[in-house]
Amino acid sequence: MRKIAVIYSGHAPHYRTFHEPKFAQYIEKLIYLPEFENTDLTPFDVLIVPSQLNSNLLLKSAEKIRAFADSGKTVVALGPQPWEWLPNQKWEERPTNFWWWLEENADSGLRVKNEDHPFYDYFTLADCTWHQHGVFWPPAHATTLVATVDNGSVLYIDEESTNGTWVITTLDPDYHFGSYFMPATERFLEALFSWLSFGKLTK
Amino acid sequence: MELKILELSASHAFGAGEIEKTDSYISVIDEYELESTDLSNYNVLMITYFADQEYLYKHKRIIENFLSEGKVVVFCGHLFRPWLPGASLFMPKKLNSYQDYFVQTVPGAPLFNGVEIEDMVLNKGVAGFFARGYYYTPEHAEVCLTFTDGKAISYIDRHTTNGTIIVHAGRSLLGFENATNTLKKISEQTLTLLKNEVCGGNK
Repeated sequence: MRKIAVIYSGHAPHYRTFHEPKFAQYIEKLIYLPEFENTDLTPFDVLIVPSQLNSNLLLKSAEKIRAFADSGKTVVALGPQPWEWLPNQKWEERPTNFWWWLEENADSGLRVKNEDHPFYDYFTLADCTWHQHGVFWPPAHATTLVATVDNGSVLYIDEESTNGTWVITTLDPDYHFGSYFMPATERFLEALFSWLSFGKLTK
Repeated sequence: MELKILELSASHAFGAGEIEKTDSYISVIDEYELESTDLSNYNVLMITYFADQEYLYKHKRIIENFLSEGKVVVFCGHLFRPWLPGASLFMPKKLNSYQDYFVQTVPGAPLFNGVEIEDMVLNKGVAGFFARGYYYTPEHAEVCLTFTDGKAISYIDRHTTNGTIIVHAGRSLLGFENATNTLKKISEQTLTLLKNEVCGGNK
């Protein structure tokens, strides 16, 4: 079982999400963001960097997060990224269609990619489906697992930009579950924590 | 007395696209600058949904001192730490159908007069954006908005401290100023209320 650390912002959505017992059981340590710079990351295998962090502190912490990945470990980044700090980051913000499911012939616009990846031993596309705030255009060597119909990447794994593994998604289940909003996000988090703890992260 | 609002920014991703506030009556600082900011020039402290409440709890004496000077603290969000005098913590609402999101105004109370219920409850036909939980209110608090079962979403407490505490279990009351429907009236009426409070009109 991998040891997972999670950066904790101190805001209400993160308080609920990461204290929920069924998710907290997988978390070795919650690292309060203002204390991140002084926290030893060596005991951990995986670091989750959730959405909606204070950007001033996040950007101060970015070098330490990259160093963690460079030591051969795994970083998971959740949510929209309007700031440049991920390896080879190309983020495109898009209007959020949160009402797609009310439309005729409803289509979330999401598609499975690389369906034989071990990610799909834990997730279904439905678990990843509520809405998204934009897409990434990852480097060619990255493995996209969830894409939009125009091949923007909603969730991808990058094993080559650094010495570590980056799981990067525009999805922000940590915010939505913690805000009591969008039930699919609960299934996503159930799958995420069990996959990160027990699953094969790369093919 | 002139209205001078100090808003604590959580500097988060959803806030990155916000139009910079240029109104003379409002100043914005990063949330972690609270402890080093001279608050004597301000009469309203505005704290919103993504605020670090661990930090606010650690520095709750600043909030208490601000209120003891007869000033106003507005909190819009889900309270989970007791840093706001007299305020109970957020309670998520039990939701069995979208109708459970419906709200009702309180006759004669400020903030929501003339705001259409549908504008508050539905956004492109989707319910749940406006409020998903409630507060048990302090004694003598003025309740402004409730769910249809009477549980309070928004209230004003002029009795617990020497100042005024306004609590709303949702996003910023000043965040509707660019709305194209009747939600705009919420921000307008919030400003009117704040002007009245700092002038001592409602004490």
